This record gives sequence, C-alpha cells and structure tokens, in this order.
Amino acid sequence: MAIIDVDGLRKSYGPREVLHGIDLSVEENEIFGILGPNGSGKTTTVETIGGLRTRDAGTVVVAGMDPADNPPRLREVLGMQLQQCQLPGRITVVEAMRLFASFYGAPLAVDELIARFGLAAQARTRFEKLSGGQQQRLSVALALVGNPRIAILDETTTGLDPQARRDIWEYLAALRRDGTTILLVTHYMEEAQYLCDRVAIIDDGVVVALGTPAALAGSRGEQETSFLPSRAVAAEVLRALPGVRAVRVENGRVVVSGDGTSTQTVLAKLIELGVTAQDLRVTSPTLDSAYLSFTDDGPTPAGTEE
Amino acid sequence: MSTGTGTGTVTRALFVNEARLMSRTPAAIIFPVLFPVIGAIVIAAIPAARQPLEPFGGFSVAQTYIPVLVIFALTSLALTVMPQIVGSYRELGVLKRLRTTPASPGALLTAVVGLMAAVSTVVTLIMVLVPAALGVGLPGNTAVFALMTVLSMLAFLALGAMLAAVIPSSRVASGIGSAVSVVMWFFAGLWFPRAQFPDWLLVIADLTPGGAAARGMLDATLGAAVGWQPIAVLVGWTLLGVAVAVRTFRWE
Repeated sequence: MAIIDVDGLRKSYGPREVLHGIDLSVEENEIFGILGPNGSGKTTTVETIGGLRTRDAGTVVVAGMDPADNPPRLREVLGMQLQQCQLPGRITVVEAMRLFASFYGAPLAVDELIARFGLAAQARTRFEKLSGGQQQRLSVALALVGNPRIAILDETTTGLDPQARRDIWEYLAALRRDGTTILLVTHYMEEAQYLCDRVAIIDDGVVVALGTPAALAGSRGEQETSFLPSRAVAAEVLRALPGVRAVRVENGRVVVSGDGTSTQTVLAKLIELGVTAQDLRVTSPTLDSAYLSFTDDGPTPAGTEE
Repeated sequence: MSTGTGTGTVTRALFVNEARLMSRTPAAIIFPVLFPVIGAIVIAAIPAARQPLEPFGGFSVAQTYIPVLVIFALTSLALTVMPQIVGSYRELGVLKRLRTTPASPGALLTAVVGLMAAVSTVVTLIMVLVPAALGVGLPGNTAVFALMTVLSMLAFLALGAMLAAVIPSSRVASGIGSAVSVVMWFFAGLWFPRAQFPDWLLVIADLTPGGAAARGMLDATLGAAVGWQPIAVLVGWTLLGVAVAVRTFRWE
C-alpha cells in the first residue's frame, strides 16, 4: 500500500491555479523524485503533502493521515527539510540538533548524526559561521533527527560541492536500506538517476511523466549514434529511418539521435549501402534529454521563478 | 496516542534555548534593561530625590520616576525587543520549520513571551528592591504594586504580540514598537510628571496602557486605593492585543 497517496491535488494562489490536479503515489521504502522546472509547482506539491499548505481540491493521504488535519502523529513520522529555512544565527550545530531531538519521542543519536553529516568539527560552531553547504547538511540532519518513516527533502543538495552531494546520496541510500521512504525534490538529473526508484516530472502544475528513471529515459531520451562514414551518406536517407529523430554532421562525424532502436536500424542501413561506420560511438539515453523533451513542449513563459 | 515529548518539556527546551541565544546578544537588551535599572538606582542614591515635592503631588522624585522607569523597561522589552525576535524568526523561516516538527511554532512564541516576562520580572524586582534598600522604601501597597506591574507587563506583551502579528517586517514592527513606547512613556509621565498634566490630558492618558500602568503603580506606591479603572484599561488592552494577534498572526 502506498505510504503517500495524492489524488487530483489542486491549489490556487489567488486567481492563479498552480496545481491543476496532481496524481502520484509513493510506495513504502522507495526514494521518489520530483523533477520539474522552477515555478512548476514542485515545492507547493511537497508542502501540501507535508501539511504546510492547504489544498483547494483533491485528496492527500500520508501514512494513513490527512495532513490538512495537522495530526500530531504526522509530525512524528514525517521529517521535512524545506528550502530557505534558516536557524537563529547564534545557535550552534550541537544545540540545534539537541533542541530538535528533544521534540521527538525516539530521536536518533545526535553526535552520530552530526558525524554522519560531516559536521563533527563544526559541532560548536554557530549557524551564522557555517558555510552554505554546512548549513544545508545541518538542515537535512535536523529533518532526520526524529528518525521519521518518511522524509520530504526539498532541493537538499542544491549548492553543495560534488563530494558533499555524494556523501548525502550515500546517507539517503543507507536510510532507504533501513526502511525510510524519501520524497526528494531535485534539479539534478544525475541525482534522480542515481538515487530515485521512481520519478515524477511536474510541469506547469501537472505530472507529465512518471516512472523509473530508466524507463523515462528510454521512452523519451535520445540515444546518440555517431560515426565516421567511409564515404558520404545523405542525411535524408538516415532521417527517413524508423526511430530516428535527427541527423547532423559535426566535423565529418555523422550524429544520429533517436530512440533505443535507432542504432541498429542505422547500422543495418549502412551495411545495406556498403558504408563502413568507423570510430562508432553510442551514448545511452539519459534522463536529462527525456526531462527536456517532457518539459520543453511549447514555449516557456519568461520569469516563472518560484 | 503520541509518543512525542510533552508540550511543557518542549516549551521549556525552547525557553532555555531562547535564554541562551539572548545571552549571546547582550546588545539587544542593554538599552531596554540597563538604562532604566541604572536610572532607578542613581535617582534612589540622591538624597534630595527621596524628599516629597509639591510639583510631584507630594511624591518624591524617586517615587515618581521608579514606576515610570519600570514602564520604560517593560515597554522596551515587549514592544521593541519581542517583535524584533518574533519577526526575524518568521523572516528566517524558523517558525515554518518548527511547523514540520512535533513542536508547534506556538511553543516557540510561548517561550519568547515567557522569556520577556521573566526578564521583565527580574528587572522590575531590581528596580524596586535596590532603591528600597537605598532608602526610598517599598511601595506603600506592595501586593497591589506587584499586581499592577504584572497587568502592565501583560498589556504591553499583548500589544507587542499584536505588532508582531500585524506587521510582517521585523524591522518595521520593532520601529513602530519603539514609537509606541515613546508615547507610552509620555503618558506614564517620563517627560512631564503626571501631577502636572492638565485634567483633560490625564483623562486621555489614563485610557492608554502607559497611563493606566503609571496611575496604578503610583497609587500603589503611595499606598492609596487603586481604582478599577487602571485595572480595567490594562485588561482591556491585553484582550484587544491578544485577540488581534491570534487572528492575524502568520507563520511565514
């Protein structure tokens, strides 16, 4: 049974409807990613799931509870890390962790969590003296100190250096092994591909794609086949092949992009034409290109920052 | 049902945390606290200030000004310091963050108000007991003086909460709080002793929280009976402040 179930979620800010009926469900013990451009409604979606915003229509069920009722039990089982939430400048790392731990019935060991997030050396440093990455890691640690069954993390690794990002990935992967369900809002396709069991792509307030990263990449992602032809091949010939979307020539290399079957089709045609493909390279479809194809339908209005 | 820690425990933890943070920001409370405390002690230490004077309606300078300085401290803490703290917590997203935990942001507000009340109480005790030891004497009716102090404190805290609720920006709320404080000090008789107020001004002053607070404390200092009016005025402002604050407060 799904631990988070969202059905027909609608939300307006004034006359402007920002969520036009979001449907998604998150299974227990999975890492579920929410992707989408700025202003597409990702944060509104997760903040509504977390009970911080009221909805205008639809149902939301989190661990059997309706977050709109703000049940106290929900706060015990759900940890949230929000964008742009700071702490008082003069509180130290260990004080903040102990304070937040004191809110929960069965918190994790504070010192261990501090060490896990690489903040042991900063335990007695004030929040205002931490680097952006350290503040971010503390923020994630605070969301997890209550040992929640579900964690909602909104752009958790934004602004982190690659090593810090990797460290958090490892920690989140370990959390999933321990049985935690994670709902992760992210801008990084690499992160979604590495961590998420399933992702939903939200664009302009609706879910435009939902599935495993591999399935989404395969369905819309571009597979690129490039080679040096032994003699010139007319681009139109290749473009006419099934599964091929575009053909271009770069410095003598022919670059064919298309779906997962396009490589074989192109090679078969080359053999038929008696052309040898030298220095053949094939890149697998990425979530990146799938994401762009799902979210680039039609012109995007300028200035739609969240 | 809940396995979480009790509201009392959480509020206490937040209170201790707030007290610690305040001790790391001494500048924020030096003006509202140190200035009136020193003022009260200095006045009490001057023998001439302990003599009853005709322009002050038979009170001594010390007796007249100690309640006014107490009001100065109470208003500064409640109307300037508190809206600043609460507003900055809202701007930083601390209140929103707390909403995601079993601790309600209401517990944090309770802790902040509680800390202001605790500091106000300690400061008032110093400002009354030290001058008393220096020869000014205790207020004629100590129990009523204490009651009036508590009612004044509650009225000012309620108004501070209202400012923090109605005005989104912490700086603006704190600035308006300072301006309101100055008006309170006027009606309490900081610039001119209330004994010199014309009758029409006294009528207006006694309807304000600052004037009602001064009236009640001065009557208690003299040992005279305190009428119901200052009590009713202070309770009325408290209820108004709380009602507006509860209705308009925004967590983010």
